[in-house]
Amino acid sequence: MGWRAIARSSIGTSHKKQQMPCQDYGDYCISNNVIVGAVADGAGSAKFADIGAKLSVKTALAHLEEFQKVKPYWQERCRPRSEQPAREMFTEAVKKVVTALQNQARGGGYSCQDLACTLLLFVATPYWLAAMQIGDGFIVVCSQEGNHQMLFPPDKGEFINETSFVTSANVLSEMRVRVLTGKQKFICASTDGLERVAIQMRDWTPFPPFFHPLEEYLGENSNPEKEDEYIMNFLESDRLNAHTDDDKTLLLCLYDCQ
Amino acid sequence: MPIGLPEFAANPENRVPVILLLDTSGSMSGQPIQELNRGIAAFKEDVLKDTQASLSVEVAIVTIGPAVQLIQDFVTVDNFTPPTLEASGQTPMGAGIEYALNLLEDRKETYKANGIQYYRPWVFLITDGAPTDDWRSAAQRVRENEANRRLSFFAVAVQGANINTLQQIAPSERPPILLNGLDFRSLFVWLSTSMKRVSSGKVGEVVALPPMGWGNVGI
Repeated sequence: MGWRAIARSSIGTSHKKQQMPCQDYGDYCISNNVIVGAVADGAGSAKFADIGAKLSVKTALAHLEEFQKVKPYWQERCRPRSEQPAREMFTEAVKKVVTALQNQARGGGYSCQDLACTLLLFVATPYWLAAMQIGDGFIVVCSQEGNHQMLFPPDKGEFINETSFVTSANVLSEMRVRVLTGKQKFICASTDGLERVAIQMRDWTPFPPFFHPLEEYLGENSNPEKEDEYIMNFLESDRLNAHTDDDKTLLLCLYDCQ
Repeated sequence: MPIGLPEFAANPENRVPVILLLDTSGSMSGQPIQELNRGIAAFKEDVLKDTQASLSVEVAIVTIGPAVQLIQDFVTVDNFTPPTLEASGQTPMGAGIEYALNLLEDRKETYKANGIQYYRPWVFLITDGAPTDDWRSAAQRVRENEANRRLSFFAVAVQGANINTLQQIAPSERPPILLNGLDFRSLFVWLSTSMKRVSSGKVGEVVALPPMGWGNVGI
């Protein structure tokens, strides 16, 4: 019974070549029957994007985890009343992230923009899920009935090399929030490095044959964090790197109701 | 039973559209047009060295002189056959620019209808003369498009070009560039290198262009 999950990132071939660090980060925490997850993709143009991505994920998770503890009604309710409480919860998380980034930048003597990154967050109980997204990347969920859906349409400017970041001046208005009330059995949060292979861009729908094996892998490994060979082999495979030279992140969650 | 590997969605390559808007009026005849032709061939050759770029970069060629003509509609570089251009007649540059901007809008619609993502397009005007038609409304469109970041417009002046007029056409943030002699080859290799950088650019990244060894800003 309960959630099982794994988060892994792998450096893109272009970053490796330029001897840059991996600028993606993803993590999660599970308490009781609630999972909170976060992924971030540091902006390629930001000097300390790797630090920004990691700090954003850690800060947001710490806040969301604390929030679940002090407001346990979130877990008990079968469904949240509306999107508003979710938006407030994520707004607080983003404010904490921005403060943490500002402090980090001040301490290091550089600009907050040097820590620019995207940020995707979610909180899921067995009964509902709330998520937010700033910038590109994707969250795909699969319901108990087996229907995949992408939570947010792509955040793109007209051209593909434009997106928004958690350090943007108008970050809160760029933040998109969604609450799903159906039971979800599988969640995949990812940065844009995997977008081209996981999402059908013609109509921005998930490509189920991409997600099925990942779900199956979680189903068959009761301790995925210890048995990560399958995921790491996939993320580092030449087959995948032929399609993307960007950093890649997979945060995979499965609700095991047996 | 071992778990299979994730299969991949088949998505079209991202596109980098570039329009070469080339002055082929009478004054370009002789050595200039020959060097221009060689430059375009060098462009193809150089882009082809990068497999990704050859599938992403889409080139179209519009000539100015004697009339405005679409010599090559958008085509990826792997399928591009460099033309042999000839020079004669007037320089209807205003009409040429309008034509190129319309062509670009049409192309964007095609991309959108087919779910193809694209980078900011480039329009590359190369001229050795001055417009022989009314160019002011075309210039305004260039500037509006540039200000709205809908495209990047480059004006290259070959010796003999009316630099004053070009300065009024080119966006103020990207003034005309004077070509060194007839070094079209270096210009096109630079264009190729720039396109390769753009096509491998990351989301959110402002791509640093290589130094322009082939000319200098003419102010």
